[in-house]
Amino acid sequence: MRKKVLLAVAALLAASAAIPAWAAAGGQVTGLRRLSEQEYRNSIADVFGKDITVSGMFEPQVRMGGLVATSTAVLSVTPVGFDSFSKMADSIALQVTSDKHRKLVPCAPASAKEADDACAAQFFSHYGLLLFRRPLTADEVKARVNLARVMTKSGSDFYAGLRYGLAEMLQSPNFLFRKEVAVPAGGKTLTLDPYSRATRLSYLMWDTTPDSDLLQAAQTGELNTAPGLEKQVMRLLASPRLDNGMRAFFTDMLELDTFDNVSKDPLIYAKWSGPMASSAKEETLRSTIDLALHQNGDMRDLMTTRKTFINRSLAAIYDVDFTFDGDWMPYEFPKDSGRSGVVTQVSMLSMFSHPGQSSPTKRGVALMDIFLCEPTPTPPANVDFSAVNDTHGPLKTVRERLLAHATTPTCASCHNHSDPIGLSLEGFDTIGQRRLTENGQSIDLSATIKGKSFKDGAGLGQFLHDDPKYPACLARKLYAYGTGVNSEDVETSAFKTTYKSFVDSGYRMRALIKGLVESPEFFNMPAPAAADASDGKTKLALH
Amino acid sequence: MKLHRRTLLRGMFQGSAAVMGVPFLDCFLDGKGQALAATGQRLPTRFSTFFFGLGLTTKLWVPQKAGLDYDITTQLKPLEPFKKKMNVFSGMRVMVDDNPNFQHWSGNAAIVTGIAPTRASQFDSKTIDQTVADVISRGARFKTVAAAASGDPKHCYSSLGGANTLPAEPTPLSLYTRLFGPGFQDPSKADWKPDPQVMLQQSVLSAVADERKDFMKNLGSGDRDRMDQYFTSVRESELQIAAELQRPEVVAKVAIPSAPDDMVVNYALPNVRQVTPLMAKLGALAMATDQTRVFNLAISEPGSNIYVPGDPLGYHITTHMEAIDLNLGYQPRVAEYNIYSMELLAATIKEMDSIPEGDGTLLDHSLLMAYSDQSYAKIHAVDGIPIMLAGNANGRMKTGFHIAGGGNPVSRVGLTVQKALGLAADGWGKGSMETKSAYAELLA
Amino acid sequence: MILRSVLLGSTIAAGVAVLLAQPAAAAPWKRGFVVGEYGFAFRYGGRAGGSETEPAADCARGSATHFNDEGEMRKALGRQPWRSKQEIDYIVAPPEIDKARLPTYVRFYVWGRAVSYRGWRKGIETYINPFAAHDPGQPEVVSRISDGFNLDGNQKTGGFISPDGERGVDNALYRAWGCDAPFRNPASGTLDLRENTQMQEGLYTVVIRISGNQDPMNDNDATVEIGYSPDKIVRDARANVAPDYSYRMVKSEQYTKLKARIVNGVVETEQVGELHVPRIGWFPDQMGDADFHKGKLKLKIDADGRNASGFVGGYRNWLDLLSENTFAQTGAEQGIRDHEDAVGLYYALKRNADGMPDPKTGRNTGISMAYRIKAVPAHVVDPATPAQVRRPAEDEKRRKGFEMVKAAMVKAVSTRIVQEVPLGTGEAQFPAMERTIADLPSKDFFLQHFDAPGKLDENGKVIMPKPKSEPQRQVKNGVATTVASAEDDDQ
Repeated sequence: MRKKVLLAVAALLAASAAIPAWAAAGGQVTGLRRLSEQEYRNSIADVFGKDITVSGMFEPQVRMGGLVATSTAVLSVTPVGFDSFSKMADSIALQVTSDKHRKLVPCAPASAKEADDACAAQFFSHYGLLLFRRPLTADEVKARVNLARVMTKSGSDFYAGLRYGLAEMLQSPNFLFRKEVAVPAGGKTLTLDPYSRATRLSYLMWDTTPDSDLLQAAQTGELNTAPGLEKQVMRLLASPRLDNGMRAFFTDMLELDTFDNVSKDPLIYAKWSGPMASSAKEETLRSTIDLALHQNGDMRDLMTTRKTFINRSLAAIYDVDFTFDGDWMPYEFPKDSGRSGVVTQVSMLSMFSHPGQSSPTKRGVALMDIFLCEPTPTPPANVDFSAVNDTHGPLKTVRERLLAHATTPTCASCHNHSDPIGLSLEGFDTIGQRRLTENGQSIDLSATIKGKSFKDGAGLGQFLHDDPKYPACLARKLYAYGTGVNSEDVETSAFKTTYKSFVDSGYRMRALIKGLVESPEFFNMPAPAAADASDGKTKLALH
Repeated sequence: MKLHRRTLLRGMFQGSAAVMGVPFLDCFLDGKGQALAATGQRLPTRFSTFFFGLGLTTKLWVPQKAGLDYDITTQLKPLEPFKKKMNVFSGMRVMVDDNPNFQHWSGNAAIVTGIAPTRASQFDSKTIDQTVADVISRGARFKTVAAAASGDPKHCYSSLGGANTLPAEPTPLSLYTRLFGPGFQDPSKADWKPDPQVMLQQSVLSAVADERKDFMKNLGSGDRDRMDQYFTSVRESELQIAAELQRPEVVAKVAIPSAPDDMVVNYALPNVRQVTPLMAKLGALAMATDQTRVFNLAISEPGSNIYVPGDPLGYHITTHMEAIDLNLGYQPRVAEYNIYSMELLAATIKEMDSIPEGDGTLLDHSLLMAYSDQSYAKIHAVDGIPIMLAGNANGRMKTGFHIAGGGNPVSRVGLTVQKALGLAADGWGKGSMETKSAYAELLA
Repeated sequence: MILRSVLLGSTIAAGVAVLLAQPAAAAPWKRGFVVGEYGFAFRYGGRAGGSETEPAADCARGSATHFNDEGEMRKALGRQPWRSKQEIDYIVAPPEIDKARLPTYVRFYVWGRAVSYRGWRKGIETYINPFAAHDPGQPEVVSRISDGFNLDGNQKTGGFISPDGERGVDNALYRAWGCDAPFRNPASGTLDLRENTQMQEGLYTVVIRISGNQDPMNDNDATVEIGYSPDKIVRDARANVAPDYSYRMVKSEQYTKLKARIVNGVVETEQVGELHVPRIGWFPDQMGDADFHKGKLKLKIDADGRNASGFVGGYRNWLDLLSENTFAQTGAEQGIRDHEDAVGLYYALKRNADGMPDPKTGRNTGISMAYRIKAVPAHVVDPATPAQVRRPAEDEKRRKGFEMVKAAMVKAVSTRIVQEVPLGTGEAQFPAMERTIADLPSKDFFLQHFDAPGKLDENGKVIMPKPKSEPQRQVKNGVATTVASAEDDDQ
């Protein structure tokens, strides 16, 4: 298999050695997206094989417009971050050029103790294409070959030269950042060049670096034709690797990384320990991917399905029998369980909730933002939370206390917007267990949003299922995820075609993806009027 | 990039809903946190471990209060002079998952690897001091040094994994000979050489910096700013490497003593009391003169056999044999033995705090991790093994805290240690002790 | 104390209550439990927070003391007429012990070897042959209150009254062993604590499932199942046994299904000829069957329907009991360390045996007893694919050693013919004692005067007997092997 890749890449290189398409006159950099941790790891695994270990600290992510992916378009690399990338680069390069992985070097030097520019050039061209996601220019190859020669001399070791050259490439901005280059496409539009297309497609659909087939389609220019694009899209859709891509998307959209900061009070909720968080995360991903990709189901059902997958730890929270037939078992909640879709899974219920008690506001705010693309502004600085948090006062349930607190006019406008969702979920405690009473009092699970009334988790699920804002939000977020734009800044017209395909297909995820990547808005953009109009950043003095 | 109320950093602080709006471009720059010596050179951070067998008595050592200003309990009393420079951890758990709970082993092995051992007397990975040494001990004469105050070279809990442990120096004289005998490298002498690895790294970084011109072509101004940041980060790395190529300035005010006498080194408490501070002093001097940056000291093996002359049972057997006193509610003789361990720890910390270095002491520029094998030795329990940290790690670790672990895995302490020492560790440990969350409140 | 708050650990804070709807009408129901506390049903008569040594209503002088100090050693060794004063002096305080590297261990093993040989003549190992030693005396429980069952239905026998007022409770094991230090007071008795800690740390898991067709709190046609689970106990963030986890129940030898009646939450099973349940223990090789003759089980479900506590009991073969306790490591180990005297425990069992009469001799081979149980709600399920209780290979080695020593003891007691100590098992602290005294200046005295089960070669290895034509254990021809012994682990 590896040999096949080597041959394919070699062929590509031979064909593209002359003029890199991206350097054509008029090419503009329209996007620069820093690799996320998962993208970095997946890319390394695909380029060098799973045997190569990657360990180090990745910089924290920032969520913008509901998606972490968006921040990759605006963040840079800090000194601490670069230091870490540098160390990882060295570690990876060391492994790749070690005796153990000799097969990863596609040629043999004349002497293992001396420089061999031809073999070094082959090595750097080969991996340069795979790592930079485009062919290297002759100058770029030469620079690495020269570096390798110097390094080889100092240690009398050909492979040491390769190591340092490879390490350099792995900390180069060409690897760490996905450069998106657009070329004029007639009239006032720009279109992404083929390699940029390949990169965008691959990271969206498979969460990894473009494979040799995709690179080939870029090199021949096929990707810039409709049938060529369709062919690749169908191939990527048909692969089981689509699961990886969509897992990454849903992890982002459903904000599952929130778990990194969730802790529950061990005095009250001692059951929340050990693998509970990772189990909850996996449950949500499994059930979502199963519906979206394996069953090819109606994505609105994500709000109402009672089918899920649970493991032994989750079975203890859901208080059901676990069958021990494998680590994960499919499970369907009974009708009267109050469970409905992803919004009543342990993940959603526990991530947006306090350590010691549930929070209708947090849940409401999160779900409105995640599924309806309706974010809520932050509260004013001088709010007095003492009444809300007083569990010993006359108001026994969280709901009662919250409603009392939210009657103040300044508070009501936001709270009325988001609390109802959370209030209907009060039948579940902060770790997602079902409860019918709180502090001895039975809980009122009714809620009203904009005149529509519903009750409990099942009612909420149905409400969200029926709200057209949800599928529109899903489409918007997939668009933002794929293009790196802030979802709040996306014009509705930008994903109109995409949304239509989605609806027409009966809300199938595959149709959404295909519709998105084949829509004109995905790879094309209007030519900017002035040089800096494409980004809205505050200008700083350049030095 | 529009900055509005919704652009937030969420979830940066454990569990609470703290939310910050920050200006983007500066958001993740952090100071290096390394102290600068009087000459302007950076001082390396050092790491030490201190192992004592058989734990403490929970009722007598765990403070009632958590956080700063915790109450000094009876068994922590010997450490009181260093309270401000220490952190103590109670209630930390060892989760063995599918592995057996090896008596006098699973606990201490888990603390130094984050992994429940699958076999007794073996480590399932490199121990933390080795992981740390890989990074901070580059350029020092010895990567790590170990000593055992019990006189048995096998009493060493520093390993590259598996059953092999590094041999510990069993007497003060052998430790002295190793450090200051033939081959003693005095950094103030002319023949100091920089690490060749570091010079190679310099070339690599230089090549990265050279990419700037080409990469910046055709970028919009916003992206130019971002790439400026990136190349600034590259430059910082170059500067750091350049510093490593310069000879370290020994700023500690030390005098190398003459060789210690040959003495009896065994489990008798008076001998342990004589040998431990001596070994601690030699270890501290070694770190101050850059003979090493990682020093491991064990005062016993996990089932400590220290005994008070005249006591026919000794520490280990007493923990099993002594009944719980009906009025006190604990084993009184065991409690006495527990205190001896704490006194020896205090003596060790004192040696490190007695070496002036730069604007503080060696201790300020170090991190010491003290730990044990059991929380309640009588029944081989591992919940709540005492763990202490001493030293400020060149300003990267905040001290003065009692952290009530509340059942958190012991690996969280190890991860916190690694982060304070500047390791790029995103997570540590395996199985139920796998953690990505260090004690952020302790990291400066 | 970390461990004692184990079971009542599902504290429900003021903020939130979890209530499950209880079925009121008749319908099939089932409830599962995982056992979080499992040990002898020995009622502690002292005050709460007291220690095992405290004199109280159950043990007038507190727990028994054996081998505690030099005085008690002299007393114990003085009973052997063949021991010279010098020998006793040397044993009690080995000369020049401070010159040994590990003086504490030297003493431990020297004492251990000494107390292993307390026969009426030299050369008899008295943990294997307890009948050959004088009865050192084991103080018995003097109080009248005990948990357990009236096993023979006779109120006049047994001599105990239960805390609920039931008369004629038969728990003769409590009477015999209730003042034994390591088992007196679950909060401080070292072996009781130890076995429960090990169980909670995953050594073994016992599960119970109760089912019926009427009502969980009142049902006269209920079923109780008890057995092992291969799934380890899961503990929550406070190190208590976590509720509501699923556990498989395997139908191994220790699985039992019983009919039961439930009245106001009190579950009482029928009494059956043989009730097989998992055995208590703190080492893996102790895992096995506790077969209670005329056994039954009683559990009280808490008012909130969650936790349960109770007892399982019956008559057990007292030689089984004796060997399970004595040879967990070696007889001397628990003797010196935990102040038990297995010889005294043997005689106490013999005196108090009150059941399972041998048809030929009429002598009681069994003793009445009970285990106490505290359990936490769990989902007990039948395995989807065949499952077995974990029996790792290393444990098999130890188990073989145990079986050999037990077989020797049983044969000795039954036939009254002195049996040798099986070699390679570590019993009699052999060769641990020889190895530990290697750097003791006065070691030759002990090597000359002490009995030993066997000999060591010049390399210090035990000289094993030549394998017979049908080897009893897997032995490579010509190569001495050792069955795992107490040496392999520490005190």
